[in-house]
Amino acid sequence: MARPIALGISLLAVMLCAMPDPALAQQPRRGGVLRIAEREAPGLDPHLTVSFLSHSYISLAYSQLVRFPNGPEQKHPADFSILPDLAEKWEYKTPTSLVFTLRKGVKFHNKPPVNGREVTAEDVRYSLERFRAKSGFRSRFDAVQVIEAPDRYTVRITLKEPFAPFLNHLANPTFTAILPREAEEKFKDFNHPDAVIGTGPFILRSYDKGVKVVFERNPDYYMKGLPHLDGVVIEIAPDTQTRLSLLRAGKVEMAHVWGWLSPEEARGVKQTNPEMVATPYKVIGVGHIYMRTDQPPFNDVRVRRAVSLAIDRKGWNDALLFGEGCVDSGPVPCAMTDWKLDASKMDPAKTKTLVGYDPAEAKRLLAQAGHPKGFTTPMFHWPGYVSPWRSYYELAAEALGKIGITVELKPEEYGKYISTTYLGKFEKMAMGPSTPFTEVDDFLYGTHFPEQPNNRSSVADAELSKLLIAQRRELDPKKRKEIVDDIQRYLADKQYYVYVPQWPQYVAHPPYVKGFKHHDGYGLGLRLMYTWLDK
Amino acid sequence: MKQYVLRRVALAVPTLFLVSVIVFAMMRLMPGDVATRMVEGHAYAPTLEALRKDLGLDRPVHVQYLEWVGAIVLKGDFGRSYWTRQPIWEEFVRRFPVTLELAALTILISVVIGIAVGIVSAMRQDTPADYIGRVGAILALSVPYFGLAVLVVVLPSIYFRWTPVWTYVPLTTDPVANLKIMIVPALVFGVTRAGPIMRIMRSALLDVLRQDYIRTAWSKGLGERTIVLRHGLKNAMIPVITLIGLQTPLYIGGSVIIEAIFRLPGVGHFFFEALTRLDYPVVQSVNLIVAAMVVGLNLLVDLAYAFLDPRIRYR
Repeated sequence: MARPIALGISLLAVMLCAMPDPALAQQPRRGGVLRIAEREAPGLDPHLTVSFLSHSYISLAYSQLVRFPNGPEQKHPADFSILPDLAEKWEYKTPTSLVFTLRKGVKFHNKPPVNGREVTAEDVRYSLERFRAKSGFRSRFDAVQVIEAPDRYTVRITLKEPFAPFLNHLANPTFTAILPREAEEKFKDFNHPDAVIGTGPFILRSYDKGVKVVFERNPDYYMKGLPHLDGVVIEIAPDTQTRLSLLRAGKVEMAHVWGWLSPEEARGVKQTNPEMVATPYKVIGVGHIYMRTDQPPFNDVRVRRAVSLAIDRKGWNDALLFGEGCVDSGPVPCAMTDWKLDASKMDPAKTKTLVGYDPAEAKRLLAQAGHPKGFTTPMFHWPGYVSPWRSYYELAAEALGKIGITVELKPEEYGKYISTTYLGKFEKMAMGPSTPFTEVDDFLYGTHFPEQPNNRSSVADAELSKLLIAQRRELDPKKRKEIVDDIQRYLADKQYYVYVPQWPQYVAHPPYVKGFKHHDGYGLGLRLMYTWLDK
Repeated sequence: MKQYVLRRVALAVPTLFLVSVIVFAMMRLMPGDVATRMVEGHAYAPTLEALRKDLGLDRPVHVQYLEWVGAIVLKGDFGRSYWTRQPIWEEFVRRFPVTLELAALTILISVVIGIAVGIVSAMRQDTPADYIGRVGAILALSVPYFGLAVLVVVLPSIYFRWTPVWTYVPLTTDPVANLKIMIVPALVFGVTRAGPIMRIMRSALLDVLRQDYIRTAWSKGLGERTIVLRHGLKNAMIPVITLIGLQTPLYIGGSVIIEAIFRLPGVGHFFFEALTRLDYPVVQSVNLIVAAMVVGLNLLVDLAYAFLDPRIRYR
């Protein structure tokens, strides 16, 4: 009896193996226009705004020297390995000298005054120098000493010191679009729609302010056969409910420039449109309570550990995030799997205060630190962050209240919050999300090195600083990862920041949208390069 | 008559002066500071001080005010947006037809519904038709237009996978498509604005219908239609016209939200974005332009009185 069953199972297995994978069986199809409902971007010049909307819009039209993988190239949404873009290859001649060789024959979009001329090293030099001079993110290039274009297809960048994050910054679409100088000379900056002339997969064809932005496929894109879409239209819709209604009604394919929906919105859309594809992703960023660790009472590590032990991360995740969040959420975000050292792989005695929940121990630590009856602290924050942030502040205040720390919630106006609290200028305690960076250095050096604007907890730890500098200077990825692991081990029981569960985000679109893969970089153009419509 | 108009125009000057002072002061009193918000990430200038200087915010407040008003009065220059650097007047002119069309359609719908239901209610006082009309008016008064707008957009998308929101097309490009886009927001806004018009129409007409000259008309054997439409309605319209005049700023103010929900690229949308970004010159100048228009419109309403009731004379 056993043999026929075994034979049957084997046959079934062979049949299953012989069946084509539906995903593989589908070949991308050319044509169609993808419609996205989104708010209006404040501008189109990549260097005169720090808005993710602006950078997402124009990423359709521009290329960079190097880029992140997208679509079938990416291993996961936070895959930040470096691929060639306008540079076909690059080489570290010395740890401080990086030489890029450009692709030959790549042409700008055929729009006046550039009229489809070839991209040269001088364009790259001009664009990177403009970034250094004008961009809000120009501190990313602090390590750059000189940018040169020794010949038509060679760009040489000399750094002041070895700087491992540099290629990641060059690949980030928010920073270093390659622009033609003539357009700035004619239009004064790159905000005018006619000045958006790049080498990217789509050409900005028209911009009806407040109505829509129309992109067409670039027929001369250097990656032959791509993009699959004939075009992309951004339908400007300021109101969230309107955007969701347009998605439900099939008038757009995405209700956010990256297709994002909050977990609540995704559940609502799945109820009304069960056919909709809604995939959860971890957001690359951290939610944290930050404290003035240079002042009492938070200069005492026992107090900071007590704060962390008061947070029931699992209960928080179940209650607010449908259990879909991530509880081991910092200092390296859960989504950044290439750099993350999970708490489970570290010494449990040290990670207890990083991810553990023990209110009794928290009270004991507070008593040891001289606060047997607890204390009162303000918690500065901006209440305008999207769901679930308002609940986050209340939950944190309630949790700390249970161990005797009375939290006075201090909501702030955005302008004040972003220019003071977010930059570490506050008293005692504050709370909020971090920027979703693409480089691990920003989550470590940026938030823990003295005098850095994002060092919100005023961390000044000499031993830690040595490690932070070391990982920046190590160009070998494996060796750098070891240092980054050491930093995470070191930080596990310091609680300079207290991390709260990281929330998921959904990417939703109709099932006929194929090949659209979420990527945690800021670019939209490359995601849409591989997207096609099966209808 | 000419003297009256001139006097009214002269009176508009202190009104607009007060509006300019109030708007200017209110923007400065709002929490937050445009410069700190713009300098976030240092995208507009290397330092806060440099940006303040560039925007002219480093000068004393009264100098800033005089510069703004002076440029408008002397050069007709309403300034430029802090954020986009685009001239405000150009943007206003580009967007105004959308808001004007929305306001015109809204007024048309609210007047037609309000007056028609008001007349029926007055003529059929204390009948089921009157009760239905009055309940409808109370309902229209109590439902906020922005709530109704969200329901109109969201509910059909949930139950019928359809929503009355389209990509805006200008009237001059395709009038039919344009009307299709504009009619729903105008209906939503117009129906909620019809409530007060209906109530005023009803009470004014009831009042007029009890006057002696109407009784005389009845006794002369004139028909109901002639009495109501030719003799009663014209006199009853005066408070209704006043109300429409008074409601005009609401049509502009309400467009802020209606335009955002229905994706209409009008002045309301422009104003809303400027307000959220604390774009002082845009908020100030748009407010002043709209205030000037309201003052002008009220003058037109006053002049309309003379047409409706020749006994009203201007001195």
